[in-house]
Amino acid sequence: MKRPDKFELNVHKGSTAVVLKLRGSAGMGEADTLRAKLEELAETRTPVIILDLTDMDFISSAGLGAIIFGHLKSRHHRGEIRLVNPQPEVRRLLETTRLTKLFPIYVTVEQAIA
Amino acid sequence: MTTLSGKVNIVSDLQAAKKAQARLMDKIIALGYGEGPAFAIKLALEEGINNAIKHGNGFDASKSVEIAYNMSHQEVAITITDQGCGFDPGAVPDPTTDENLEKPCGRGIMLMRAYMDEVRFNEQGNQVFLLKRNIPDTCGISEDTS
Repeated sequence: MKRPDKFELNVHKGSTAVVLKLRGSAGMGEADTLRAKLEELAETRTPVIILDLTDMDFISSAGLGAIIFGHLKSRHHRGEIRLVNPQPEVRRLLETTRLTKLFPIYVTVEQAIA
Repeated sequence: MTTLSGKVNIVSDLQAAKKAQARLMDKIIALGYGEGPAFAIKLALEEGINNAIKHGNGFDASKSVEIAYNMSHQEVAITITDQGCGFDPGAVPDPTTDENLEKPCGRGIMLMRAYMDEVRFNEQGNQVFLLKRNIPDTCGISEDTS
């Protein structure tokens, strides 16, 4: 296991969805940043928030909690969060926690937007 | 055979926790642990320390968390102790049930148990012992999640 990259969160706003590209490790030190961004997007009534997990190599329960928080906030205005391309360890974590039942997982961002 | 052991004391602060976690993970990776076991240990370490700071010590800056470790190529054993009153791990609801899926918190203990080979709490509930054996080419999740 290589040393994880620093957490980065890049926002790409499209006409029908906002894509958050996450990179590195989303643990206890980064969850608040993710939570705040998801809350901000939910408050602006973003209908679809796509989390591109391609470059995210770690997430803990704190990071998962931030995503669930965003999901609950988004649902107030019928918005939703979709996940894209989690790496094997992250995908396994989503399956272990059964959060795959809560969040649809797509192979590509394009499929998640469609 | 290389065996590393020691103790680290940190204040009840998430940044201090991250630094301690990173230093321990550097040692574990240097011992040759693969992606799966390293992910599992990092996860359990984070959940254990996070619980100790947040729920155990309540972010009280006057309280510390002790992380004791003993690691070799074969296994990693970590004991995390906080200065809180403790809790009953058996009373924590199962976060994987349908009614709990949307709760943002409460997954830490389940994840430690799912990813480590042994997870034991002391009677008071302010100390957790974590053990991971280094079995190459396996995923991080243990077969027995009880």
